[in-house]
Amino acid sequence: MNTGQVISGIGHAGLIGWILFGGTFQSEPLPFEVTEVSVISTDAFEALLTNGPTPDAATNAALPVQPDVTPDPIETPVPDEVVEVQPPAPSPAPDPDPLPEPPLPEPEPEVADDAPVQPAPQEQAVLAPEIAPRPVPRAAERVAPEPVAPPTPEAAPADVQQDAVTPDAEADTPAPVEEQDATAPEEATTEIVTEAEEPSGAPTASLRPPARRPSAPAPPTETAAAPAPAPTADVDDAVRQALEGGGETDVPQGPPLSAGEKDALRVAVSSCWNVGSLSSAALLTTVVVAVDMTQDAKPVIASIRMLSSSGGSEQAARQAFEAARRAIIRCTRDGYGLPVEKYGQWKEIEMTFNPERMRIK
Amino acid sequence: MMCRIVCMVVALTVALIQMPAAVTAQNGPLRIEITEGVIEPLPVAIPDLVAETPGSAEMGQQLSRVIAADLVGTGLFRELPASAFISQITDFGAPVQYADWKAINAQALVTGAVTVSGNQVTVKFRLHDVFSGAELGDGLQFAGTTDGWRRIAHKVADVVYSRITGEGGYFDSRVVFVSESGPKAQRRKRLAVMDYDGANVQYLTGSEAIVLAPRFSATGDRVLYTSYETGFPRIYVLDVGSVQRRVLESQQGVMSFAPRFSPDGRTVVYSLSQGSNTDIYAMDIASGAARRLTSGPAIETAPSYSPDGAQIVFESDRSGTQQLYVMPSGGGEARRISFGEGRYGTPVWSPRGDLIAFTKQSKGRFHIGVMRTDGSEERLLTASFLDEGPTWSPNGRVIMFARETQGAAGRSTLYSVDITGRNLRPVRTPDGGSDPSWGPLQR
Repeated sequence: MNTGQVISGIGHAGLIGWILFGGTFQSEPLPFEVTEVSVISTDAFEALLTNGPTPDAATNAALPVQPDVTPDPIETPVPDEVVEVQPPAPSPAPDPDPLPEPPLPEPEPEVADDAPVQPAPQEQAVLAPEIAPRPVPRAAERVAPEPVAPPTPEAAPADVQQDAVTPDAEADTPAPVEEQDATAPEEATTEIVTEAEEPSGAPTASLRPPARRPSAPAPPTETAAAPAPAPTADVDDAVRQALEGGGETDVPQGPPLSAGEKDALRVAVSSCWNVGSLSSAALLTTVVVAVDMTQDAKPVIASIRMLSSSGGSEQAARQAFEAARRAIIRCTRDGYGLPVEKYGQWKEIEMTFNPERMRIK
Repeated sequence: MMCRIVCMVVALTVALIQMPAAVTAQNGPLRIEITEGVIEPLPVAIPDLVAETPGSAEMGQQLSRVIAADLVGTGLFRELPASAFISQITDFGAPVQYADWKAINAQALVTGAVTVSGNQVTVKFRLHDVFSGAELGDGLQFAGTTDGWRRIAHKVADVVYSRITGEGGYFDSRVVFVSESGPKAQRRKRLAVMDYDGANVQYLTGSEAIVLAPRFSATGDRVLYTSYETGFPRIYVLDVGSVQRRVLESQQGVMSFAPRFSPDGRTVVYSLSQGSNTDIYAMDIASGAARRLTSGPAIETAPSYSPDGAQIVFESDRSGTQQLYVMPSGGGEARRISFGEGRYGTPVWSPRGDLIAFTKQSKGRFHIGVMRTDGSEERLLTASFLDEGPTWSPNGRVIMFARETQGAAGRSTLYSVDITGRNLRPVRTPDGGSDPSWGPLQR
């Protein structure tokens, strides 16, 4: 029996007990007032309503006595003298303003042919961090009578200090002593330089943004003497450059492809990867196919090659590769839509075609 | 504590060793993995074969139609209509304008030419991979008689199918079956043989006696079947070329049925019923010596060899219900491979050796299904009022079976289905058909 049932039982028992035995404690009825009423007829009641309530009982209170007051006559003020009223005289007209002098001829602006050159700023604006880094306690510098240059980067403080040992030429019996170098003293300075004395990296001043300058007049158009070079977007050139590795310096590297861009490429190839005509053996074969890409995101067909295969025979791998090659070529009429600014990231692609999820279940 | 420190040091060392490799990988080519593809018919263009001799244009059209029907009938190819062609093939030796075929999304192109001289016909063809802009394999040439022009078309289709899918073809093959005609109560049955697509039906026996369960030999030159000619079921061997036959088992008072050749064609495995007991026997055809492979009170029948001839799958009710078992071809302990609900029967081993097709009866319906040879990965491919008698295509990709409709006017028809369960389609025959047995590719 849980606590709730116990509480409920006690409560109910109390309530029943109060109902049964509560009257014992209040056996006497509560006192109440009794008011006598009289019964009147309808006519009498209506008569009461029409005559108004008239108190039957006479009151001893004295009626208020009206005061005997005679009102005084109202006095009308009389003016002392009569004032003739005249219309107001018109105010004198103000003197007209003198005619303005004819405007002076506008000064001709002095326009230089050359655009003004803004002087180079003395200091470059430096973006200060919005949140200052939490100061880190700096290790106290070691102070020694003589400054010691810092050790080479690969040097590490030795645990045990040792003295330099050199063979003693004057010894009678020169014992074989192994030469050793003395332990280099730790890095030290001659004085303590506090952080307050160090130059701060925060900017001391910031330059105001330059005012917008009027654009310089456009130089006169010159007629090109030589014909413009032919566009170099020819596929063959791109293929040659891709295969020869030329133009590395012209290839925009850009950041790595985002997950969305990779997914878009994956979906594009997947939509053309038709495994319906593959044999069951080829459906067990995973092939890795490499392809070089042109800058307009089209595959170089001649560069499509199988790097490796696993899970099937050579014939099955060949069939799987043919299906993969068709997939790469089929859906690239307009290119794969890869960002050209990241060409360096996708100029060569390795695609792994894994048909594990496409097998006959 | 010490162990933890050592583990951390080892992990840090491994991470430092692998770090240069990771950095190098980021600088290498972009790598993606494709795991999802599409399953759709491959668009293929099959223009009429170029007529190189006068009067062979019609033959060129017929050949191209049969080639297209073979490929499209697999469900793996989709033929592009001729009205969509941008360029026409008028010269077999002229270079192919791949851009025109690529523009209509043809992924494969079959070009060919036909020469008819008297009753001789010669067909040469090439298969092109349109998107690669190159031929897929070398050109081939077939020659035969004008009567066998369909076989030439089937052979061309087999080559195209094989080069694209990587599997062997099955178009130039024949099927022996029981042709059924007449009403259900008075049905006449006779042995017949046809091309895989139902063409060229030829009858091997008359309809005087009931015939059952014809089975091709591995070479396709002989047929085993069961006949009630004497009132008792007996097994006969029929030579397809000469249509000569002989009784295989002549023991009186016993019933023998459900025969099947061994892969080497020297042995026949069959069921023999004596009294109320049915067991499986193997008989050497040359000597006639029979050997009992199973013994027991149960009914054991429908044996089928594995492709290597080492094992036999059969049906038995030794467990109380009809299930499938596998035993060595020489007899011995059998292991049960089917454990599902219902009754399993008529097992047939795939020519590839990886699957076993069977008939399953469950909850009032019949199914054709396949399972691994160990009984795993059971898949039901069909379902109807009555599906039974599966047989494998030579390449193990397609199953043919008989489907009978319900009612007094019910008719038995041959159907084929891909082992994926797709592409279920009837096989057009002049009459009804049942008990099909798919023969090997013809030579």
